[in-house]
Amino acid sequence: MSGFISALVEAWSELRIHKTRILLALVGVAVSVAALASVVGVGQLARESMQANSERQGGREATLGIIGPGGGSGADRLDAAYDALVARYGITYSTRVAMASGAFQFPGGVRNVEINVVDPAYGVVHRVDTTQGGWFAGDDGGRLAPAVVVNEAFYNAAGRPDLTTDPVVGFRGDWATPTVMVGVVADQYPGAGPMAYMLTEGARTTGLATAGGMPVQYKLWVPPENAEELRMAMMADLQAALPGMGVEVYRSDYAAYGDPFAQVQLAIGGIAVLVLLLGAIGLLNISMVTVRYRVREIGIRRSFGATSGRIFAGVLMESVVATTVAGALGVMVAIAVVKNPFIEENIAPGLTDYPAFPLEAALLGMGAAVLVGALAGAIPALVAIRVKVIDAIRF
Amino acid sequence: MADRNTATGPGQPDDGGAAQVLVDLHDVTRTVLLADDEELHILRGVTLRISAGDHLAIVGRSGCGKSTLLNLLGLLDVPTSGSLDFFGRPVGSMSSNARARLRGATVGFVFQQFNLLPGRTALENVAMPLLYAKGRDFWRRNELAMDMLDRVGLASRAGTAQHMLSGGEQQRVAIARALVRRPRLILADEPTGALDVATGQSVMELLEGVAEESGAALVTITHDPNVASRARTQYALQEGALGPAVQLAQVGA
Repeated sequence: MSGFISALVEAWSELRIHKTRILLALVGVAVSVAALASVVGVGQLARESMQANSERQGGREATLGIIGPGGGSGADRLDAAYDALVARYGITYSTRVAMASGAFQFPGGVRNVEINVVDPAYGVVHRVDTTQGGWFAGDDGGRLAPAVVVNEAFYNAAGRPDLTTDPVVGFRGDWATPTVMVGVVADQYPGAGPMAYMLTEGARTTGLATAGGMPVQYKLWVPPENAEELRMAMMADLQAALPGMGVEVYRSDYAAYGDPFAQVQLAIGGIAVLVLLLGAIGLLNISMVTVRYRVREIGIRRSFGATSGRIFAGVLMESVVATTVAGALGVMVAIAVVKNPFIEENIAPGLTDYPAFPLEAALLGMGAAVLVGALAGAIPALVAIRVKVIDAIRF
Repeated sequence: MADRNTATGPGQPDDGGAAQVLVDLHDVTRTVLLADDEELHILRGVTLRISAGDHLAIVGRSGCGKSTLLNLLGLLDVPTSGSLDFFGRPVGSMSSNARARLRGATVGFVFQQFNLLPGRTALENVAMPLLYAKGRDFWRRNELAMDMLDRVGLASRAGTAQHMLSGGEQQRVAIARALVRRPRLILADEPTGALDVATGQSVMELLEGVAEESGAALVTITHDPNVASRARTQYALQEGALGPAVQLAQVGA
């Protein structure tokens, strides 16, 4: 125990004495670790943003889609079969999705609006984040004045009313129905037109018909590890329940054909490793020079009882302690970079809630710092123990 | 070649087991191979026994093998032939780490050029050997180092950096460092070589006084006859061979 503490004490003392040299070495390592952790952190942020966008489009990882004929009795049978599937497989999050359009009465006049007719679980499956208000609650389907979640363009057209006052916008379908805005989501792209989400029950209340008999899609979020098995089983169930009907079950999510972000992550990882390698070479260079400069000191220590193991541990520990401190500084800089609002807004424009600085980036940075310290310390430490005490004292 | 047991001082008979034998060299040689494969015989058939409390000096001209002999006595080197026993244990069969541990626990070095660690304070330099000690000595290293600095009269300079100390002060710090682990054997290699006469004399008085207080054996290697004459026993090393001893203390008595 005292041997380890003593090696630490010795390492700390060395760092204190050689602070200028250490600082020079540390700047390189701290910058490398900061670059590594920043690259990984920014990469993670970009990946999160891309994933969020992909999930908004196609649903979360392992979302199965079911598509069949639109309209008519076939559609009703498919709807019943879908309900049976959800019950049979105990799917927690599933939703109908239908595209429609309808006219709303805004203060500035009537405008045609794109309407997504969905179930409450759509918000989870398609990762819908509201900027104001909230997504549909389970009992919103029973409202006489159907609830709508609208985009910013719709909200602006409605005069940006206070959502806590249950603002009403008139829907002019087969008959005039008031709708209540309960939440607002960001526009999908700059300059987007007004859009609204409406629940399936609400669409029935308003008499909204799906546009031109466009088929209803069904989305079911299933466990990724069983996605393919469930897809096959559901397909078989639907074919048995709906003989002769062209029904298809497919993966609609971004990960249907493997991880699309793997290449990006690999490239980011490669850059990070190169950055770290440069830092390690710089540290090794300084460490080697330092050990040669300290030959006499090593000889003196050995003449007072330091074993070769202690000398090795001392030089190695000195490097590791130094790079660990540098690593911590580097990670702090990386956090400041990645959590900078400017970086967040530009790297991940699709996100409303930015994720915390990724723990793996911090751990990777610290781990890399320790590893670099150990590697860059091991070579000079080996050189140090090869020093002959007699020659070293006279050096 | 010196007689065996000649290093025992007055009142410390070599027989009867009164004084513990610390180092026992018998017919030791040290040879190195030169670049042209020629052998250089640095030490030839050296026989020497050092017991606790001895004070001896080894004199000789530059290049006669004094430092090599000191290295052997301090376990920094091993003989090419002959036997070297340290506290009764044959050194030839010890690993270098075992020698390092034994050296740290029993030997204190004082060098001509002081060899203090650069950038450290006097206290840090004196405490350095205790980093390689275990238990209480390690945990109380600063306290022990401070006590030792006090003994050499430098307690007030404990926090002074090595380069701010005078030559005499540096050597006193080096003496405190050599003694801080209470060694049984103190090896001083030209301890006054870098000091003026007056400072050298006071340093020798201090070294001898502290060694006597602690009961450690003191071996001084020097080419200065004045320093050598302070020892109770003198040896002369000529061309690698240790000359006959002169029992100065006994003669003086």
